Amino acid sequence: MMRWLDLPLRLLARAGVLVTVLFLLVPLVVACVLSFDDRSFLGPFPPREWSLRWYRGFLDNPAYMDGFWMSVQVALAAGAAATIIGTLAALAVSDPRLPGRAVWEALFLSPKFVPTVVIGFSLLVFTARIGIFDPFTRLVLGHTIITLPFTMRAVLASLIGLRRSHMEAAMSLGATEARALWDVAVPAARSGIVAGAAMAFVLSFDEVAVSLFLSDAFTQTLPIALVAEMRANLNLTIAAVSTVFLAATLLLVLLLDRLIGIERLAGDVGARG
Amino acid sequence: MRRLPFAAWLLLPGGLALLLLMGGPVAVLLAESLRPFVPGSMRPGEGLTLQNYRDLLAPAYLFYAWETFRIGLIVSALSVLGAAPLAFAAVRSPRPAVRKGLLALLVGLLVMSLIARLYAIEMAWGSLGPLAPIGALTGIAPRSPRYAEVQVAIGLLHFTLPVVALMLVGAFRALSPRLEEAAASLGATRADAVLSVVLPLAAPAMVSGFLVALAMCISNFIAPLLLGRGVVVFTTSLMYTRFADIGNYPSGAAIGISMLLLSFAVVYGLAALARRALR
Repeated sequence: MMRWLDLPLRLLARAGVLVTVLFLLVPLVVACVLSFDDRSFLGPFPPREWSLRWYRGFLDNPAYMDGFWMSVQVALAAGAAATIIGTLAALAVSDPRLPGRAVWEALFLSPKFVPTVVIGFSLLVFTARIGIFDPFTRLVLGHTIITLPFTMRAVLASLIGLRRSHMEAAMSLGATEARALWDVAVPAARSGIVAGAAMAFVLSFDEVAVSLFLSDAFTQTLPIALVAEMRANLNLTIAAVSTVFLAATLLLVLLLDRLIGIERLAGDVGARG
Repeated sequence: MRRLPFAAWLLLPGGLALLLLMGGPVAVLLAESLRPFVPGSMRPGEGLTLQNYRDLLAPAYLFYAWETFRIGLIVSALSVLGAAPLAFAAVRSPRPAVRKGLLALLVGLLVMSLIARLYAIEMAWGSLGPLAPIGALTGIAPRSPRYAEVQVAIGLLHFTLPVVALMLVGAFRALSPRLEEAAASLGATRADAVLSVVLPLAAPAMVSGFLVALAMCISNFIAPLLLGRGVVVFTTSLMYTRFADIGNYPSGAAIGISMLLLSFAVVYGLAALARRALR
């Protein structure tokens, strides 16, 4: 290639990175700024007067508060279930002696590619068929299956470095297979378990499609309440909620960086497909 | 009898979860999709029929399916295009702060609420938003109803781009920097080394990133719901209205099964074809 093209191409790549980063960040900043707008209507950007009225509006609205607690409970229950089931599955799939490992791995990843509306709709019909009508149970079941691929994948990714010989060493010293897994493999998978659990909690907390099918008028999650509000009248309460979500995300990323390090985390949650 | 390996027992809870929460429900959905619809009744009729699937071949449905695919293809292409330089910088930038910052941004977006992000896009790119003049560059005025299409595409891109970028981060990490050094020692410029050594090696990951993005787009429900203003209708939206507004379960089930097949065809079928072509 022509040598003179080198510099322009490198500048182009840098510009590409910059544009992409701005594309990803600017909307979040705009929503954050607007959440402090004092106007009672959606006006042009930027606001002139500032206030915390939209944050008060959020805290004073019982639909949001009830939804928030419901979402926390569902996300904790489903996240815990998906983390335990996913960790066990990943430990099994990482064992080279398991026949059909690739098939099992593909099976555990497959719920990720079932459209969430399909999961929601089919679970609605299925749970009605087998006599489960309690919306909380339905929500936890639905959220468990959609988050399972993420916990399984994260744990599996973190187990790549585990040497089979370490397990065998433990067993040659008299540990049972279960004991060896618990003492050797589980600690090795710690980063993946933490990353997977965080992903599962967040995905469940934010889930809309599955919840729309499985919740009822009295059991609303926060996303359902937010979506209803956004479709009915677009106002800035949701800007306040978005800003709270943004702050929570920053805290979570800082915490995860402390616990496992961002480089490792990117490997655990990023490995897909 | 051969003793089952211990690992097999660990699969039991997961296997049960897959069977009861995915396999069973999808089988019931398939059965439902083959039942005739009785207007005005929640219960499907007797007998088996393919009518619900035949109905989906009507031009109106094919139009929605095409619309979903068209936006999905554009967004997937853009997300690979935007993600590749970003991922490369996140792996190979000489400055550790840049690497860490970019990775934190990507992981942060992955765990950030999609509802909050879509709302932020409405605020930033909507007709009153500060980015609306940039959106107008597509040739669609931000006040026109068709602008919803631009917003849905932007929303989906915000959703898929970090995922594709993290997939590519994994792919670039797996490539040894020695390859570029070797190219450089043979007289290649930096851009040359990236274009002729790194990109071809990362091509399979870029193709699977594209396909995962496409599958994420065509099965997305919330972006058209929140940003589509009723103008952009995805097949997912159609399925939801079948259930919520009309109560036509068999037809909703048929749409669901078709979407499931389409999504799996994209992720597994096309991916296998692409792997063979790249080999």
